[in-house]
Amino acid sequence: MGLWESFMEWIRSLFFKQEMEISLIGLQNAGKSSFVNVLTTGQHAEEMIPTVGFNMRKVSKGSVNIKMWDLGGQPRFRSMWERYCRGVNAIVYIVDASDHDKIDVAKTELHDLLAKPTLNGIPVLVLGNKNDVPNSLDVEAIIHRMELKAIEGREVCCYNVSCKNQTNIDITVEWLTKHAKK
Amino acid sequence: MAAEQPQTAANAVRDTVKKDEDKEEEELSPFYGIEKGAVLQESRVFNDPQIDVRRCQQIITKLLYLLNQGDAFTKVEATEVFFSGTKLFQSKDINLRRMVYLMIKEICPSSDEVIIVTSSLMKDMNSKTDLYRSNAIRVLCNISRNDTALLSQVERYLKQAVVDKNSVVASAALVSGMHLLQGSPEIVKRWSNEVQEAVQSKNPLVQAHALALLHQIRQNDRLAVSKLVTSLTRSSVRSPLAQCLLIRYVSQVIAESSAATNGERPFYDFLEGCLRHKAEMVIFEAARAIANMNDVTTRELTPAITVLQLFLSSSKPVLRFAAVRTLNKVAMTHPLAVTNCNIDMESLISDQNRSIATLAITTLLKTGNESSVERLLKQITSFMSDIADEFKIVVVEAIKSLCLKFPQKYPVLMNFLSNILREEGGFDYKKAIVESILNLIRDIPDAKESGLSHLCEFIEDCEFTYLSTQILHLLGKEGPNTQDPAKYIRYIYNRVILENATVRASAVSALARFGAVVEYLQPRIIILLKRCLHDNDDEVRDRATFYLAALGAGETSAETSRPMLLSSLNKPLADLEANLRDYMMGGCDKTFDISCVSSTKPNLGPAPKAAGGAAAASKPGQNSAPEVPQADAYAEVLNEIPELADLGRLFKSSAPVELTEAETEYMVKCVKHVFPEHVVFQFSCSNTIEEQVLEDVSVVMEPTEGEELQEEFTLPLVSMPLNECGETYVCMKRAEGSFAVGKYACTLKFTVKEVDPSTGEAEEDGYEDEYQLEDIEVSVLDYLQKTAVSNFRKSWEDIDEEMEQTSVYGLGARESLQEAVEAVMEILGMQPCEGTEVVPPNARSHTSLLSGNFVGNCQVLVRLYFGVDQSNAVAVKVAVRCEDAAVSELVHQIISEA
Repeated sequence: MGLWESFMEWIRSLFFKQEMEISLIGLQNAGKSSFVNVLTTGQHAEEMIPTVGFNMRKVSKGSVNIKMWDLGGQPRFRSMWERYCRGVNAIVYIVDASDHDKIDVAKTELHDLLAKPTLNGIPVLVLGNKNDVPNSLDVEAIIHRMELKAIEGREVCCYNVSCKNQTNIDITVEWLTKHAKK
Repeated sequence: MAAEQPQTAANAVRDTVKKDEDKEEEELSPFYGIEKGAVLQESRVFNDPQIDVRRCQQIITKLLYLLNQGDAFTKVEATEVFFSGTKLFQSKDINLRRMVYLMIKEICPSSDEVIIVTSSLMKDMNSKTDLYRSNAIRVLCNISRNDTALLSQVERYLKQAVVDKNSVVASAALVSGMHLLQGSPEIVKRWSNEVQEAVQSKNPLVQAHALALLHQIRQNDRLAVSKLVTSLTRSSVRSPLAQCLLIRYVSQVIAESSAATNGERPFYDFLEGCLRHKAEMVIFEAARAIANMNDVTTRELTPAITVLQLFLSSSKPVLRFAAVRTLNKVAMTHPLAVTNCNIDMESLISDQNRSIATLAITTLLKTGNESSVERLLKQITSFMSDIADEFKIVVVEAIKSLCLKFPQKYPVLMNFLSNILREEGGFDYKKAIVESILNLIRDIPDAKESGLSHLCEFIEDCEFTYLSTQILHLLGKEGPNTQDPAKYIRYIYNRVILENATVRASAVSALARFGAVVEYLQPRIIILLKRCLHDNDDEVRDRATFYLAALGAGETSAETSRPMLLSSLNKPLADLEANLRDYMMGGCDKTFDISCVSSTKPNLGPAPKAAGGAAAASKPGQNSAPEVPQADAYAEVLNEIPELADLGRLFKSSAPVELTEAETEYMVKCVKHVFPEHVVFQFSCSNTIEEQVLEDVSVVMEPTEGEELQEEFTLPLVSMPLNECGETYVCMKRAEGSFAVGKYACTLKFTVKEVDPSTGEAEEDGYEDEYQLEDIEVSVLDYLQKTAVSNFRKSWEDIDEEMEQTSVYGLGARESLQEAVEAVMEILGMQPCEGTEVVPPNARSHTSLLSGNFVGNCQVLVRLYFGVDQSNAVAVKVAVRCEDAAVSELVHQIISEA
């Protein structure tokens, strides 16, 4: 890419915003809707009601408009995740890092989902939420327990975040905006 | 109901289509020829990251169009479209969102999938956009109808929405309430206060919906409904729609209460007040409610008829139709009240709308007089082929009742019926025609021959087995007694050659009856029946063999078997079957004895009831019709009793009279049967006490006043059954030619045996007891039967003028001439002829013609001349003609005593 072209790219990004679409999935009570709230309003609420179905939210970060499908995590919605993951720029899989018992279920659900041929090649960002809670799993532990190394044919990334303390939200956003265009 | 109006799919489709249609008015619909596959393919754009709002709306419209055309989506297709459709929630376009709501409702995926939109709908339900809110409420209720957990989550919002300031939102919540009431009534019932508040809404539609919901909530509580209606009729209901609903609820309350209270009808003033309402729909609703009231009087009807008459000349076809349809119904029960509208209806005969014209003509037929019949018939014939079967049946019914009213007109009417019978038509239509002809044959003796020959012609080309068999049966019954029975044989035998097995079998039966009754035809019939022996159907061959044997072609003697051919068996078929089976098992060494089969139970319970129902259903002009089957039923039962079998032909059976108060220990009803020389009293008794067995039951009759009949014998009842009717009879001899009238005191005598409650068995010893019954009166009317004459004038002149007896009676002040006529006819119990039971409106004098038959086949004809003076006092001159002067005197006696 020449200097001129990269300059034009920068000019374009000033006038034309980039669009991206992501899906937020994960088991119930992992913090998906909280994450959306933190991204859109910068606020964190302690009391949340379970999402019945999905929420559609849009947020603008830098030069990128992000369209987010925040899906319900209860078992009855899990079979429908795949429909809202098709064709998105990235799948964000949120895990409750403080809940050691559910991590295996979370692993199975993720691997089952990624096995769907319609979702081939879509980058996955795994977020270990609630790292403010003592004894929560760190990144290495999550990568190990979620068997993220076994995932092939796509980009996989894993961060440790806390919606409550808003830690690592900035690097998450950075990762997302980088994936705005494939 | 307009409940779903704001958001039906059809409406939305129409909205979007409208613009295009306006441009290219006469051209084909833009949706003409679209294909499901292509549209489904197109619907993939729902998944695009950038949504083309206009295109998506069009695609949803196409999908809805397909669904409304009846194109079903498979489960996979529906799921696919539904999920991609949910992606459209990202758009904030109001119109697109509306289409998405519609699509969710119409596609209606399975409940485990549809929950995915719950969160989005709940968000919309609390949004600031009213259109979002109302539609989200409707869809949410639709999908959560069977999900109580979800419903309890949204209930709070729905309750608030009921009293929302925005009418669209409030209506949506109210209508959803109606739907929810079916599945989860307890939730909706908690909204009562809010709904009540909504009833006071200023918005017409909200008021109507709220009233409808409130009524549905209270539906099962009669008192609450009555309270609701009472309070609302006092306050003013603004919305015409709500007012219409209120009128319907009021008429329900009226219908339920009228049984209990006599005298002033509740709410009538309210209904009458509604006739002066501004809105046409309220006026019509009120008029219809009045017309449909039970036992509505002419006075109550008049204001309703007046407004309907105004509607008749309205420029709006729908008003004309509504009015004429209601008048048509009224004309069945109150032909007189409708006659005022005749002139207006005459002009409707040429109405562009066929339905209006048909109803107008049939109404005129019901209300018109004899002279207009032919003209009206000609007009009907001109468009009979243009109208639907359902209306043709209305015409046929009208013709039938007309024919019974003016028996002299039967040739024209019968001709008309036979003409339409030849035209194309469905089963119900043909059935109505055939039944009308059968009715006419039964009630108008002169019409028999021509009616039969019309029917014969019809079965030559009849595609309905049911009708063919019915007609063949009738031919078998009536044909042999006509002047020239031979001419029917050809028609019947043609059936044997040409038709299916069922019709062939009944044709064989019909032939056999000719052979049995008409002596000179018998050899020929036997030849025909012999040919039937080679039929390829079992039943046909069996019948032919049986009838050949019965007619004496075989070895059996004709004398013994002929009665079997002509009378019915009178054995319950189930019992007969059981007995025959036993006989077969027993080895068949003896001849089967039919007398060991128990005979038909003399159960007359349902018979009079059925006859009563028929009488109520077909009131004017055919009073004589329902009595025939009832008398037949009695005659059959009485014939079964050996002691009563040889009393001769049953002349008349009275209506049952209750001899006990309602809800006493024993229930006894009495029917008086008059035979040529005897009077039989049939007592139907039933026991209502479980702890007692009553045996050897009989009724003792003691004459208290009047002429005495000679008691011949009593048939006691062996045991009085519990809660069922058992019969005991008293037979009295009557000297021929005398019409003994009198009163009898009756006492029920029986032996009581207590039942041991522990074992349920009766003790052996009983004691005798009596029970006082009400008196029975035998009046002259019991000897008098209604009979129709087709030509009253001829019959009248046939009887010598010298035999006429005339006197004048004052009837005192009467409300109307019609009432006086009805009163006198009630007293005489004779058959009114030529529609003279109806007094033309505003007439100051009237002549009624009555005919009847006294026992011993003595015809009586009565002419009544009514006149009214200034003070509304009615006088009647009664002229009686009869071959027997004593009988004429009796008629006068009836009137003077009453």
